[in-house]
Amino acid sequence: MIYLDCAATSFQKPAAVRYAMSRAMETLSSPGRGGYESAMAAAEVLLDCRLALADLFCVKDPERVVFTSSATHGLNIAIGSLIGPGDRVVISGYEHNAVWRTLRGIGADVQIAASPLFEPDAAVEAFRKLLPGAKAAVCTQVSNVFGYILPIGKIAALCREMGVPLIVDASQGAGTVGLDFDGLGCAFAAMPGHKGLLGPQGTGVLLCKDERVRPLLFGGTGSVSAEAAMPAFLPDRLEPGTHNVPGIAGLLEGVKWLRRKTPAALLAHERKLLAAFSGALAGNKQVRQFYSSDPAYQAGVLSVQMGEMDCEEAAEKLAERGVAVRAGLHCAPLAHETAGTLDRGTVRFSFSPFNTVGEVLAAAEAVKEILG
Amino acid sequence: MHYLLSFRSLTFAQRAARVLERAGITGTVSRVPKAASAKGCAYCVIVAARHKERATAILTGAGIQPERVLLRHPDGTLEAEA
Repeated sequence: MIYLDCAATSFQKPAAVRYAMSRAMETLSSPGRGGYESAMAAAEVLLDCRLALADLFCVKDPERVVFTSSATHGLNIAIGSLIGPGDRVVISGYEHNAVWRTLRGIGADVQIAASPLFEPDAAVEAFRKLLPGAKAAVCTQVSNVFGYILPIGKIAALCREMGVPLIVDASQGAGTVGLDFDGLGCAFAAMPGHKGLLGPQGTGVLLCKDERVRPLLFGGTGSVSAEAAMPAFLPDRLEPGTHNVPGIAGLLEGVKWLRRKTPAALLAHERKLLAAFSGALAGNKQVRQFYSSDPAYQAGVLSVQMGEMDCEEAAEKLAERGVAVRAGLHCAPLAHETAGTLDRGTVRFSFSPFNTVGEVLAAAEAVKEILG
Repeated sequence: MHYLLSFRSLTFAQRAARVLERAGITGTVSRVPKAASAKGCAYCVIVAARHKERATAILTGAGIQPERVLLRHPDGTLEAEA
């Protein structure tokens, strides 16, 4: 199989990830629940992972690195901490349902800072118009459909200037596209552990600016346990219940691996793969590609439409040829609406550090063969 | 004799122990005895009495101040510092 669905999950991972998970299941118990060796060793793994993530995302205090079960979980905490029914919230036109549905579910007054695909200046202007008076803003760092890197630095600067807390959905960029969390001054950034961070599924990370957070879950934390209220401090306030220790042990190895390789080198590799794939299909008039003319705004995700073919049928034919991709709306109807692809959807090819140029060229050949 | 430097969370206690380790002071992360933790479960770093002054100064400098400092006598009794 040629796996080109890395925007869904990093199916291929460093071998150290699964070794660490297996070792954790054999040697680590529950952190923060006992003072014996296996519990303390588990706690050390958690701290090591927090420190590695804090370093990667420029967070001064590792306590502000909170483990979640997914990016969606983290986004629900972040949104629930800042936004209530009727509150006016500004979001980009490229948000995932993890943001869109959560805000709608709360009953927020959602205003969309819509701007054309791959036009970062227009994105900034759209936010500038809507931000005054808003309770909060949410912006994805990278579109999970189009790989469009939004100008998060400029949008964060606007939010700081106008005193509007910003939540960054870093799901698609974490691990490749840099994120200086403290430097941006945003309120929260949420991300999965299993995509660019190369950890296992069931892991996620929420970076918090401070302790002004509202728990989504309540329960035991192994701290101030005589009190009925949740601890006031991080990370305990947001981490009730038993941690996913094997998952976090695997995530730690994923983060260590990508830091050794460096996120910049991994992004460059993904861009090289995208350029090779895109170039191989460039002359084919039946293939409509959505990518940025400025590589600075393009991550390793490419959406295409294949002639008049239904995108699901195209993905099925690719699967028959051993190419794994995702078709449809990618849980981001808003992004498709903004880009004008809501009616047909797209076929999404997304690349990882483990893909090769040979693989993406073979996938391009499969596309040509399907289109005849 | 030893001192127990108690912290508001396990994460803080772990960080404190690592900061002290880098400064050449061995500190062991441990649970705070029930009798000394009115709010319930808590963690501390245990250091030898001779390191107490330097350890607290280092931790204060690192922004990881203990919530409480307890002296553990050889018979196991605990005495809270003012």
